[in-house]
Amino acid sequence: MIPDTPDTRAPGPDASTERRRTSILILDDEPIVCKRLKPFFQKAGYEAEAFNQPAEALARVEERRFDVVITDLKMQGLDGLAFLGKVKALYPDTDVIVITGFATLETARESFRKGVFDFVAKPFKLTKILDGVRRIEKERGLVP
Amino acid sequence: MQLPVWMECLVWWRKKPPVPFSVLFKKFKSILERNNAILELIADMGDKLGGDYIYDRQYIFASCEKLGDQVFKLVSDLSLLCQRKNVALFNAFEGIQHQIAEELAGRRTLSRTDHILPLAELTHDLVDEGGNKMASIGDIRNILGFAVPEGFVITAGAYFEAMEQAGLRKLAAETTRRLCGNGGQGLVEEARRLRQAILTMALPKGLARAVEQAARHLSGNGREMLAVRSSAWGEDGEASFAGMYESVLGVAAGDIPAAYQQVLASLFCEEALRYRLHRDQCGEEPAMAVGVMRMVDAAVSGGLYTYAPLGEQDQAMVVSAAWGLGKPIVDGTAETDTFLLGRDPPHTLFSADISTKSSKLCLDPAGGTRTLDVAPEARDVPCLTGDQLDRLARTAMNLERFFKRPLDVEWAITTSGDLVILQARPLSIRPRACALRPDVAEAARDAPVLLSGKGITAMGGVASGPVHLVGEGEDLSDFPYGAILVARHSSPRFAKVMPKCRGIITDVGSATGHMATIARELRVPALVGAGPATRTLRQGQEITLDADHVVVYAGVVEALCRNELVREDVFEESWEYRTLKRVLRHVSPLTLLDPKSEAFRPENCKTFHDIARYVHQRAVDKLITLAETHQEITKGAPRKLDTKLPLGLTVIDVEGGLDPAAGPGADEKDIRCRPLKAILEGMNISGMWETNPVAVDMGSFMSSLTRTVGADMAHPARLGRNLAVISKEYLNLHLRLGYHFTVVDAFLGGSINDNVIYFRFMGGVTDFTRRSRRASLVAAVLEQFDFVVEIKGDMVTGRVKKHPTRAMLDKMFMLGGLIGYTRQLDAKLDSDEAGQRHLEHFFNRIAAVKETRE
Repeated sequence: MIPDTPDTRAPGPDASTERRRTSILILDDEPIVCKRLKPFFQKAGYEAEAFNQPAEALARVEERRFDVVITDLKMQGLDGLAFLGKVKALYPDTDVIVITGFATLETARESFRKGVFDFVAKPFKLTKILDGVRRIEKERGLVP
Repeated sequence: MQLPVWMECLVWWRKKPPVPFSVLFKKFKSILERNNAILELIADMGDKLGGDYIYDRQYIFASCEKLGDQVFKLVSDLSLLCQRKNVALFNAFEGIQHQIAEELAGRRTLSRTDHILPLAELTHDLVDEGGNKMASIGDIRNILGFAVPEGFVITAGAYFEAMEQAGLRKLAAETTRRLCGNGGQGLVEEARRLRQAILTMALPKGLARAVEQAARHLSGNGREMLAVRSSAWGEDGEASFAGMYESVLGVAAGDIPAAYQQVLASLFCEEALRYRLHRDQCGEEPAMAVGVMRMVDAAVSGGLYTYAPLGEQDQAMVVSAAWGLGKPIVDGTAETDTFLLGRDPPHTLFSADISTKSSKLCLDPAGGTRTLDVAPEARDVPCLTGDQLDRLARTAMNLERFFKRPLDVEWAITTSGDLVILQARPLSIRPRACALRPDVAEAARDAPVLLSGKGITAMGGVASGPVHLVGEGEDLSDFPYGAILVARHSSPRFAKVMPKCRGIITDVGSATGHMATIARELRVPALVGAGPATRTLRQGQEITLDADHVVVYAGVVEALCRNELVREDVFEESWEYRTLKRVLRHVSPLTLLDPKSEAFRPENCKTFHDIARYVHQRAVDKLITLAETHQEITKGAPRKLDTKLPLGLTVIDVEGGLDPAAGPGADEKDIRCRPLKAILEGMNISGMWETNPVAVDMGSFMSSLTRTVGADMAHPARLGRNLAVISKEYLNLHLRLGYHFTVVDAFLGGSINDNVIYFRFMGGVTDFTRRSRRASLVAAVLEQFDFVVEIKGDMVTGRVKKHPTRAMLDKMFMLGGLIGYTRQLDAKLDSDEAGQRHLEHFFNRIAAVKETRE
């Protein structure tokens, strides 16, 4: 888990000439999380899709690739670790951020073993998850 | 039934010889720790209302469970310490716990059991009691401060009671379920049957009496006509049920009960039943609150759409207006004037389409309404002046910003020229330009960024407008309408211009301060602690503030602003937000303030915070009495410590904290406890204790009130008993000075790794603003001295550890000064600037004292 570091935030959206937007898929079976994260990222200049049902999200990632996947861990049906395994198998260069209300050292360790980029405990600050995405963009060279 | 563990312990305890003091002291310490944990948990939950956090229902359930568990253990701990059952306290705990459980179970525990709620008390917090429509009208009146008709609401609770008593609640539920099951067969007949039953049911006697009485009062003993309006759960919300429920206009006071039943019955009209069927709402029990309002004797009435639906003018709002009452306009039967106005100030008039208005609807003094001819000279003239249009436009924009939706506003202008808002509901047609299209994101990407990444979101949202810089102490009376306020410090005095301003940015400020609270209440986007805002932004410069993303763009980013109005869900209206807010009503307010008052009793604990406060006070008291009366169980006898300042301090020396040679009347010379010695020195030497600090020119701040409070607090009788538990290296100090409440827990002088100071400060009798200012001041001081500081509301906690003993003792010295300094400060913190001055003054004073000491 990364510590809360609100003051070391990456700079805001910059006036790049690049037209391609970073794409994000959000999966959480709590509707409130999707309802808030999706418009938040859209307004920050991202392409975002959100799903409450793991099956639907899975169907969607089989159709197309996303740059970033943000997923809950504990869900009805398919659990987040399984979902992230499938995403990673399809697109090894998609980065995954796990958000969970049941953060334990064990789940965190397991997530990182599966190649998770970041592990964020709920509740979290909006700026914190934006930080994570921006770091991914930087590392993947998605932003100039 | 098996005895709970703690009771068994009590039984065991009575038979045993007195428990060693060390055991009791351990219990005492665990009470303190738990108390801290509880206060932090409460503050933590409160923070989540700020809009900065993503949390889900799981968080709410988990926090409530954890909190309930801790509070129960706290009460049990006190029972053990005091060897009493504390039945009253357990009962208070059970009661609060039950209320929270009901809230969580979604059984809307109507927080008010009244049948009638006056409009003056209604806001969205009582949306379950008052229904959506009336709650919105309550917000417009009580939060935004616009005129609405006088009135009251007959609550949803009253509806349930009436239906229950008539045996119809079950019938309605069964009917709905049956219709859902069979796809609506026989719906017309079922609807008719239900409605008939409701129309003819007998209202519960108490309810009928309350309604009649309130109606009589509202109508001025029958002199004025009333309007009866539906305000069902969910009406005008996501499911609009627009126009399905009934409203009855021009009702005489005596006919209100009948009209009330008519509106109740419309809850089960054909359209509504069908709507529920199609929207898959069969499982949710509907409820109907009903608003009763005075009819407005309108000279002009009409409607306003904050977005013109036609789409020709992207940035226009449309007003339709006619002489007399508004019903024909809403029904679409009247000839109306139509005005198109700019959405942005100065709200330019794009077009005015004036029609011939030959008739108007008026109140009939004999009851009801009647249609009259319009005087010939008034028929072809506009029924609104430019000023009136401007006032309407500004009001509507304020409403739209608050509700975060394009709105359909019904309004009236009275014969005396006052603008009255009759209702505001979400505009069902979404403006063309509002759709969330990719260009929204593009617009944000391409806009030049002025500020980014620094600041705390005090209230989320997007706003655009010209910058208006506000200097310290500057007069706000000519703050320009529609501007964005930019200032060095956040200040509660901005509250009065919030209805005029679109957003707030400050260089310095806290998200838990008073200003932030007001901004949240009024939903004005606000960014605090944004660093160089006043230096970067120029007066009059057009900017767009995106408080959610902590970015300020140059120019107006249209797409972002419009997008703000089509949020799929407004966070403040979500289940999570409302539930947490409702739960917190049973958790965080502190109502037990004065331990010396008669009311400081377990029965009066209304919240978990109250219980924590009560237990803490009793635990401290108990430890003192224990030490006084059972000297045999304490290792060192308790002493009244004779201090230079009137602290009323009792000392319990666990080991080596006092000179062994000292008698029962020990004084400061006898202290061997290093942390206590240092803190007392700080109080004494630093000269911070005086009621009148010298170096600060307080001038007019030194109101007589300040003097009274100052003198009063110095009186020993007000100080009560304070407690210090000490050893040579350890200090656990509880100081209640006036209404300030300080806890210091320190271990100093062992190995450097064991050195630790914990400091907590809270309380005060002044208003929340001043207490928050004092909290910020204390926090700033602590931070200067390397403490890790947390502010939650008016509670400040600071922790510092692993510094060399010498440095830690300096910090204790400083704390002594701080305790002395702040005790007489509250009433003087009447501005944020005063806080800043006092901060500097304190630093100078401490530095000077330190120099002379060295």
